[in-house]
Amino acid sequence: MIESVLRTSRIIMDKIIEENPISDSLYKSAFIRMVKDPSTMLALTVVMIYTVTAILSALGMVATDWNLEVGTSYAAPSLEHWLGTDIFGRSVLTKVIHGTQVAMSVGFFTCLIAIPIGVLLGAIAGYFGGIVDDFVVWFYNTLSSIPSIMLIISISLIMGRGLLAVYVALGATSWVNLCRLIRAEVMKHKNREYVQAAHALGAGNARRLFRHILPNIFHIVIINTSLQFQTAIKSEVILSFLGIGVQGQPSWGTMIDDAKLELARGVWWQLFAATVAMFIIVLAFNILGDALRDALDPKIKGK
Amino acid sequence: MFLVLRSSLTWLLLIFVTASCAKKDDYSQKILYERIEQNVKGFDPIHSNDYYSSREVGKVYEGLLEFHYLKRPYTVTPNLAKEMPQVSKNGLTYTFKIIPGVLFHDDECFPGGIGRELVAEDFVYSFKRLADPKLVATGWWLFDEKIKGLNEWRNAQKDTAISDYSASIEGVKALDKYTLQFVLSKPFPQFLYGLAMSFSYVVPKEAVDKYGAEFINHPVGTGPFTLKVYSPQTNKIEYYKNKKFRDKFYPSEGEESDKANGLLADAGKKVPFLDKIVSYIMVEHNPAWLAILKGEIDEFKLPKDNLSQAITDMNGPTEELKSRGIEVVVERALDVTYSGFNTQFELFKNNPKLRQAMSHAYDAGTANELFYHNQGILAQTPIPPGIAGYDENYKNPNVGYDLEKAKKLLAEAGYPGGKGLPEITYDNLSDTLARQMAEFFSNSLAKIGVKIKPIFNTWPEMTKKIDRQSVQLFAISWIADYPDAENFLQLFYGPNASPGSNNSNFNDPAYNALFEKVSKMQDSKERTELYKKLARLGSEQLPWIFGVHRMNLRLKHSWLKNYKATEFKYGIEQYWDIDLEQKKLKKPQL
Amino acid sequence: MDNLKYFLKRLLQTIPILLGVCLIIFLLFHIVSGDPTHLILGKNATKQQMAELREQLGLNRHWFIQYLDVVKSAFTFDFGSSWATKQNIANMVKEGITPSLTLTLPAFIISTIFSLMLGVLVAYYRGGKVDRYVRVICICGMSIPSLSYILFFQWSLAYKLGWFDISGYDFGFPNFIPYIILPGIIWIILSIGPDVRFFRTVILDELYQDYVRTARAKGLNEVTVLFKHVLKNTLIPIITYVVIQLPYLILGALLLESFFSIPGLGGLILSALNNNDFPVLKAMAILSSIAIIIFSLITDFLYTLADPRVKLK
Repeated sequence: MIESVLRTSRIIMDKIIEENPISDSLYKSAFIRMVKDPSTMLALTVVMIYTVTAILSALGMVATDWNLEVGTSYAAPSLEHWLGTDIFGRSVLTKVIHGTQVAMSVGFFTCLIAIPIGVLLGAIAGYFGGIVDDFVVWFYNTLSSIPSIMLIISISLIMGRGLLAVYVALGATSWVNLCRLIRAEVMKHKNREYVQAAHALGAGNARRLFRHILPNIFHIVIINTSLQFQTAIKSEVILSFLGIGVQGQPSWGTMIDDAKLELARGVWWQLFAATVAMFIIVLAFNILGDALRDALDPKIKGK
Repeated sequence: MFLVLRSSLTWLLLIFVTASCAKKDDYSQKILYERIEQNVKGFDPIHSNDYYSSREVGKVYEGLLEFHYLKRPYTVTPNLAKEMPQVSKNGLTYTFKIIPGVLFHDDECFPGGIGRELVAEDFVYSFKRLADPKLVATGWWLFDEKIKGLNEWRNAQKDTAISDYSASIEGVKALDKYTLQFVLSKPFPQFLYGLAMSFSYVVPKEAVDKYGAEFINHPVGTGPFTLKVYSPQTNKIEYYKNKKFRDKFYPSEGEESDKANGLLADAGKKVPFLDKIVSYIMVEHNPAWLAILKGEIDEFKLPKDNLSQAITDMNGPTEELKSRGIEVVVERALDVTYSGFNTQFELFKNNPKLRQAMSHAYDAGTANELFYHNQGILAQTPIPPGIAGYDENYKNPNVGYDLEKAKKLLAEAGYPGGKGLPEITYDNLSDTLARQMAEFFSNSLAKIGVKIKPIFNTWPEMTKKIDRQSVQLFAISWIADYPDAENFLQLFYGPNASPGSNNSNFNDPAYNALFEKVSKMQDSKERTELYKKLARLGSEQLPWIFGVHRMNLRLKHSWLKNYKATEFKYGIEQYWDIDLEQKKLKKPQL
Repeated sequence: MDNLKYFLKRLLQTIPILLGVCLIIFLLFHIVSGDPTHLILGKNATKQQMAELREQLGLNRHWFIQYLDVVKSAFTFDFGSSWATKQNIANMVKEGITPSLTLTLPAFIISTIFSLMLGVLVAYYRGGKVDRYVRVICICGMSIPSLSYILFFQWSLAYKLGWFDISGYDFGFPNFIPYIILPGIIWIILSIGPDVRFFRTVILDELYQDYVRTARAKGLNEVTVLFKHVLKNTLIPIITYVVIQLPYLILGALLLESFFSIPGLGGLILSALNNNDFPVLKAMAILSSIAIIIFSLITDFLYTLADPRVKLK
């Protein structure tokens, strides 16, 4: 399932690349476009709320007492416990809120690892070509030939399981798409007039690449991020199921995983709560991703 | 366009409807449906060293002896042997008479496809297989250096291209067609247990020769059930009643409570009762749990971390289980969990006070409540209840939660309040339960100021560290191989240090000397007393922080009869019965 | 001729990739697997036996020779035997392919056809109500984690309503059908969202090409434009999309197979993971990499065959 999302994203991204350099005005008009669309604004608000919740939770300001026994084991949702309680009598609502921290951090750190690698390798390969390019292309072709689930499993095993292992495993396996896209874009841009002009003015390689080309293809990174973020959140569930996910604190993945044995007893609220929490944020990122693409990709304009 | 769409929708719907007609239940035959929670390692007795494989092997294969189905404490009783062996005065020679007329299952490996009669020579062959270095048998340790001439034969086969099975060995010989003699090279009182374990079950040479490496998938035994072929990727194994099974009868004596529990109702009747066994390999707990509730499997071992789903705080079954007629059977495991000190590690080596402080700081009672639903028994020594040598009244003075005492001892050890004590690494496995327990352990010890750093490993990583003696403190457990305290007491025996089973590398000359003496003794009252003494001698020096003796909960439907909890599950299904009338009545209501 | 040369060149290019795959797999699994002797021999292993086994498995040899073993296995398909089950790995894989394919292939075909039809439908009604509803449903469907689907459907349809078997599998043609229907439905639900979105994008892209405008200007009606011109031209990305998914079908569906006890390759990976059975994981990684490499070769070649505009480099 991770595969299929990655695959789809790669193919969709392939389609949306266009030659025009993007200017500031495009970002401006894109911004205006997105602000005008109510569903995009709603999605953006949702992402903001989740982010703030996650940060507050990480700072120990909300849902710190998730480990506290507040009721009987498996109490059904009621006015007192809105989403019921889990096996140890802990509030499912608090756990879901605390789980936001894990989910958002998995999304954030995965992007933080994958994007610099993807951009840097892609840019260098595209710009310098030759042996550097051959090596990078070989490297990502090799990596993408190994099913990412196998890579994720073995990296997590090496890192000894836990949250850090999840970040690294997901980050290290999800930069390939971005790298391919950036490489292709940089190759197109490096012979453009504006780059040639910079060269004539005495700009070095690094300056031309990072000051001139990269800003012009940055929209690819933005679109890719929204996709990668939600893929990472969804992958966390599967990793939790495989027993190589988060340990020692509640995450939506472990809550859904717990539900394996609870459903038979008619305890549906933990599955429900975690699924809905995840559904809302992934949906928001999906809508945001679509909106970003529509707004930033000049080719799709007007459809 | 829409037509295509609509017709394909109708088509899909049609498939759903036809497929959703659930299968009809078959009440004409006694069929046992059971769940196996892990893949089976095939059907070669010499490799059946894990819980799941040995149980499957026991359905098809048999040994000279078996564990008595009803009697407790566990004792062995003749199976393929006519009676218990004659033992020579020096305790080294065992002579067995084999039941004549026992037949191997019909199989293509025999002339005409008809199973031939079992003879004493078959056992000689099977023991050689167990010793054959080329086969890397996982059961070899049991008889290593115990049978006269077998190790010599083994070493001689190491450099040959094909192992020579024709060479005769002094220690295991067929005197005539039905007489088998073992000569041991040193006293080994646990030998008879070994003959009841799945490693020493008898296999026919013809089958091994015919199937070669694929023998693991073509079981040909003498057992109560037959299996034509096992396919490694299957999730369903179907056994059929062995129609040519010899006259073997349900035991007529057992524990006192057995009669009241109806376990003696079938005494003296010919076994097996079941016509067929269907074993589903279901790794996921969820479908198995749903299946037992639905009555699609008859029996089920509850996953350890979900005890509260089946039992209430009062330790009875939950209402839901009761209403479905599902019974909860508690099965005492013959095991012990512990956190072992590496007693050769400088910090622990000459500091018994530090070990005592840590032992008193560990709140084993709360751990038992949290992780075992209070069903575990707090361990005082390694010997679990149910084995001769377990002392119900004994309380280890250096074990037991007592924070004040722990703090005092820690100060006496030279680390008041934990000052000056380095952080101690604590190696664990990485599953969820192990992780939670490690967190609990480090929280416990933090209360007296001892800093514990849990480390999580895969099983191979963990054993590698332990083997190299590079661990400081580690969480692990030991499960009995056979029901004899010696199997637990050897865990403190100096010469067994890592990579042997004494993984805390404990070495006390007085203990070693007494162990050497006791391990040669035959079963007796005197030996049991010495076991108790030995257990105290070792345990009070704290090579470990003791955990619990665990238990398993098994769920079964009321129509499954003659069901008795046992730790030795080789071949127990032959005693089970299905009450078809009851099943017919109850199953459709689930 | 050009085609042949190009194909040969691409074939040669796969060799360094395959060597790289072997290297990565070797490095990863060599680090994690540690010393397997205890895993194979059990807790009572004797010192002598452990030494013998290490010798037999060749663990004492130079690492490069062990790497060459991995490379060799990629060509001979001889992966030795599993640590956990002692079975021949090649046999295990061979037997696992059928159950995996019986589940994934029909589900894949149905979901592809169904999504393609939906994709055409929404492209035809682009911007309208149908388009909007289908897109919303697709996005919503994609936003629910797969595990939740499985748990919910297994619980509701199989357990509560009893329409399907909870789990299990039978070999042989008609026998397996009852067991694959529920997991098949879940597969279809899971893949329809992304598929429809992809097909819609591809078709819309094509609809805004110049030649479509010309065709419309010539007075052809929308249906003719859509089916005669657009669909024909979108065939290449669609075929690519389909072919590139094929190796993953063989790999099976990890979660579905384990929850429905289907003895396929997905379940094989999962149980190998639970048992630290590294030779099996290694074999599965190598085999699936080979499958992915082969199918991407095929895609490339189809591309060049189907579209003369794609210039050979």
